[in-house]
Amino acid sequence: MTTNTLFIRILAFGAIVAIIAGLFWSQNPAFLSTGNIRALMRHMSVNGVAALGLTFVIVVRHFDLSFPGVASFGAMTMGWLIAGGQPLWMAISGGLAVGLLFGIFNGIAVARFKLPDIVTTIATGGLAIGFSYFYSNGTSISRNFFMSGLLDINDGRFLGLDRPFAILLGAALIGILILNASRFGRAFYATGENETAAWYSGVPVNAMVVAAFALCGLCACLSVVLLVASSGAANVSAGTQLLMPAFAAVYLGAALFGRPSVLATLAGTMLMSLMLNGFTLLAIPYYYSDAIVSTVLILAITCFDPRISGALRRLIPARKEKLA
Amino acid sequence: MGAESFLAMRGIDKRFGDVRALNDVDFELEAGEIHALLGVNGAGKSTLIKILSGVYSKDAGSIRIDGEEFALGSPRAAIEAGIAVVQQHPELVGDLTGAENIFLGQEHRRSGLFSPVNGQDIRRRAAALLERFPIDVDLDRAVDDMPAVDREIVAILHALRLENARILILDEPTSTLTEREKESLFEMMQTLKAQGLAIIYITHHLDEVFEIADRFTVFRGGRRVATHGVAEAQREGISIPNLMLDSVAGDIFPPRSDRVDGEVVFEARDLSRQGEFEDVSFSARKGEILGIFGLVGSGVDELSKALFGVLRPDSGELHLNGRRVRFRSPAQALKAGIFLVPGDRRTEGLSMDENVIFNTTVANLGRASLGGFMRFGRNRRDSGALAERVDLQPRKLDRPLRGYSGGNQQKVVIAKGLYREADVYIFVEPTVGVDIGARAKIYTLMRELSDRAAVIVISSDCDEVFGVADRTVALYKGAPIGAPSREITRDHLLHAGIMGEAV
Amino acid sequence: MTDVTQQSVPTASAARRAPARQGLQPGQALMRYGFFGLVIAVFVVFAVLRPTFIAPGNIHGMLMSASIAALMFLGLTWIVAAGEIDVSFMSVAALSNMTVAGLVSGGADWPLATLGGLGIGVLFGLLNATLVAGLRLPALVITIASGALAASIAAAIGLGTSISLSTTGYVGALLDMRVGVLPLLAVIVAAIYVVAWFMQEKLTFGRYVYALEQNRAAVEEAGVPVNRLMFMLYVLSGVVSAVAGILLAANLSSGQPYLGTSYFLDGLTAVLLGGMALKFGKPNVIGTLAAVIFLTGLLNGAALLGWTDSQRQIVRGSLLLVGVGLVVYARTRTHKRKTA
Repeated sequence: MTTNTLFIRILAFGAIVAIIAGLFWSQNPAFLSTGNIRALMRHMSVNGVAALGLTFVIVVRHFDLSFPGVASFGAMTMGWLIAGGQPLWMAISGGLAVGLLFGIFNGIAVARFKLPDIVTTIATGGLAIGFSYFYSNGTSISRNFFMSGLLDINDGRFLGLDRPFAILLGAALIGILILNASRFGRAFYATGENETAAWYSGVPVNAMVVAAFALCGLCACLSVVLLVASSGAANVSAGTQLLMPAFAAVYLGAALFGRPSVLATLAGTMLMSLMLNGFTLLAIPYYYSDAIVSTVLILAITCFDPRISGALRRLIPARKEKLA
Repeated sequence: MGAESFLAMRGIDKRFGDVRALNDVDFELEAGEIHALLGVNGAGKSTLIKILSGVYSKDAGSIRIDGEEFALGSPRAAIEAGIAVVQQHPELVGDLTGAENIFLGQEHRRSGLFSPVNGQDIRRRAAALLERFPIDVDLDRAVDDMPAVDREIVAILHALRLENARILILDEPTSTLTEREKESLFEMMQTLKAQGLAIIYITHHLDEVFEIADRFTVFRGGRRVATHGVAEAQREGISIPNLMLDSVAGDIFPPRSDRVDGEVVFEARDLSRQGEFEDVSFSARKGEILGIFGLVGSGVDELSKALFGVLRPDSGELHLNGRRVRFRSPAQALKAGIFLVPGDRRTEGLSMDENVIFNTTVANLGRASLGGFMRFGRNRRDSGALAERVDLQPRKLDRPLRGYSGGNQQKVVIAKGLYREADVYIFVEPTVGVDIGARAKIYTLMRELSDRAAVIVISSDCDEVFGVADRTVALYKGAPIGAPSREITRDHLLHAGIMGEAV
Repeated sequence: MTDVTQQSVPTASAARRAPARQGLQPGQALMRYGFFGLVIAVFVVFAVLRPTFIAPGNIHGMLMSASIAALMFLGLTWIVAAGEIDVSFMSVAALSNMTVAGLVSGGADWPLATLGGLGIGVLFGLLNATLVAGLRLPALVITIASGALAASIAAAIGLGTSISLSTTGYVGALLDMRVGVLPLLAVIVAAIYVVAWFMQEKLTFGRYVYALEQNRAAVEEAGVPVNRLMFMLYVLSGVVSAVAGILLAANLSSGQPYLGTSYFLDGLTAVLLGGMALKFGKPNVIGTLAAVIFLTGLLNGAALLGWTDSQRQIVRGSLLLVGVGLVVYARTRTHKRKTA
């Protein structure tokens, strides 16, 4: 992608954001209030962190459907550790370790043993949900949460930003460093783009696939930590609400920016949060959120598909010539 | 000429951009004839076949079959005209039997998704087909359980299932067959010929031409060079290799090296891999280019992969700078100092949607980064310098490789190799789909590289191997014919590679 | 990655030795029919451990839930057999279930309500079919999205909670009917599966479904309308899921917006595990039916033994993992046979 088209894409993204924000603001001026913007950023944080992890798996051209289940297991593990009186850092590490381990397991199954990614990750996700029932037989855990300092992760501030948003920005920064600025990023993209050519170029393609799944699991559990911190309780279905927004963010971003990347995923997350937050302000109930997100996703995939956009462009030949 | 031929193609022209793939080509084919098409890669024979089978449409010329003019604008039109094509790698469904594959899509007179499949009926129709073309093959076996030749026969019968088929095109059907299997295929071709079918047969193996064909036509550089009867050619001692050779090609090769005392960098000793190549030995020296010539299926492709850690040899040794080496992956081979310019750059060499900088630096991420982070400025400068060195046209570092011509894509693969600074460079089919200007540049680059590294070129293009290499050897059916030598002439190399005849 | 093993040139003698398809070796017979033995074994073991397992009431309950599940997974079986995926089927069932419940509780009579539920199934089937088969968009992401859309609307119909029904209408009456000792529904579903088996084994339809998974290019080259076939499969999946959702509304006397989640794993497990029966790893309707009976028996028996939700969920996940592993193992074995 040349810098020029990237600039156009960023402009287009800014325009879409402005239009959506303008529409909601015209309906309800509170949309652009400081309080709502903070709420919006908080909303972005949970979904954004999970979507960041998924981005890596999509970059190496695989799928992970296990991360919602894994996140639930991570949430319950963390909750159980906190309830058991463990220090907060230990509990969070425990939760994140769950994500890492499941991710590595997925990665090895897919890369080394060549199991089909979709069904394998559905199965491991199912397993993770099963394990998440172990701690409390399915009831939610909130003992010691108030004392442990977990809730401060949600309520605290860092450099003037709400902590969840700061964590998202931090994770995104690390993600950008890895994917855009480090040699590993090159290896991730090369693996996804053309695995054979990458292997011939000396890229350890299997290791990159395992790493992508591991990062996806890790990020899913980090995102669920934020979620639990904001809701104040860990429960076995904590992760399930991550699936749709994460896929939508990655695919929406990739559709807007031409390929999956950290920035594209952040942009996708932002668009979704804008819409969800806006509709919430318009008093549209929570259970419509997946409907909105999935409709936008289907439309985006359809409209940005090269064959379909090509067909649309053929319908307006004059414009095509002007661009060329 | 008196009566018109059964198939008469006149003045066929076909252009792809600047490349004139077919230049005013005439071609005649008689009923009940096996006609071999010969020529090096890119000579125009496959373009002609694709026009005849309706895949490409011709720019100019006429096609008459049995006196009737046909346009052949689509595969369907070609099938309706009675032209049956068997691709080089026919598509078959492995779990279905031979008979089921032959009638796939026509299980019932009323074709559709909900027509009954009558196994007995299909077997009966297959038997009827075998009655028309008596061939010894068990069509009740699953295709996956069949030997390669039976799969080829199934593909041929699939092409001939329609009553009206009168011209059969076989595109290198023997490339995966053993000697004995080849005989069964030839028997089948004789049977089909006796039924009055006209057969066009594309091959790289000249010995097969004398065994099976009645006539042959040689293509070179998009033109028909000659058509002869096989008996006539034998009687008059016409040299097919000479017809196939491109006499002007000599200009594009850089002068040879006269260094003979360069140190041995890379050595293979009795390298073997079951069924692919055996007892291959050579030593590659600094200062010269070693050439290995072998046709498709001769084992050269597998050999190149075994040298680079993609495949593992069953026996034999590799020595690099005097030490024995074993590679389990390309990464290890690269680390040891070997770089392979693979034969299929689109699937093995490049990320087509990424730009020049991405592709060059990915070959050596250690060099492209510092403390794990990419050195963007330096990488751009390095890629720019490499692009200049390989004469990339146009020199747009941010352009995805999809937007470059084949020759310039290949230059990027070579730039990857330069970025790697290896001790051994192995070029496999370095100029397939590369225009003449880029070819000359690539050969010059190979010569330059040989100053400080050992260079091996492995190709099915005899002219290329002979033209660019200092020492050459041919591989025939997996076995080297003699040892690499400076003394081998172009004709000897060609005969060794095509017929397996030693000097 | 190029498959290097495929390029190897087999010697004539070795190739001629390749086994013909006549006569099953004992190992193959075990693989082909072993799963049915396992199904029987599960029922015998639980019958011994908990005699209530084979009490008429329990058997009846199991037959009902197995019938509904088997109906729901019919389309999925062929979609997976053709090498594609649909992860929206359970949400479409949930939506049709809630549509019926919403309409009935809103005063509509049952025939109208079932028509509404069915319409939903057709609608979502058409949506998936158009996007995946028609426009060739990625099946997984599209069906994730359409599934989420269906689930979301299902929740919205009940304003986030379930709807209980006071009547079960003609559907309830249908569910209560019996043929001898068997529930009529089980007989109907068995009949549907017999027809499906006929389509799969005796019509071009089934032949093309399996050929598609093996070599799409070959089927397209043979002139088969591949896109139309895939289109029909997705519509079918939507319709059978919707019918299952309608039946569940009467069976549960309620609309359950979140009933999809439990069927998700079971559906894929049944299809993949069932693929091990008869066809060496290829999903097929008889296998799916056997696997549904197996899963129903296993989960029901486990509940009688007092297993927790957690343990049963882990059994589900493990079975799916085992199913995937077996399929991949069976495929590589077949592949080796090809190149040996």
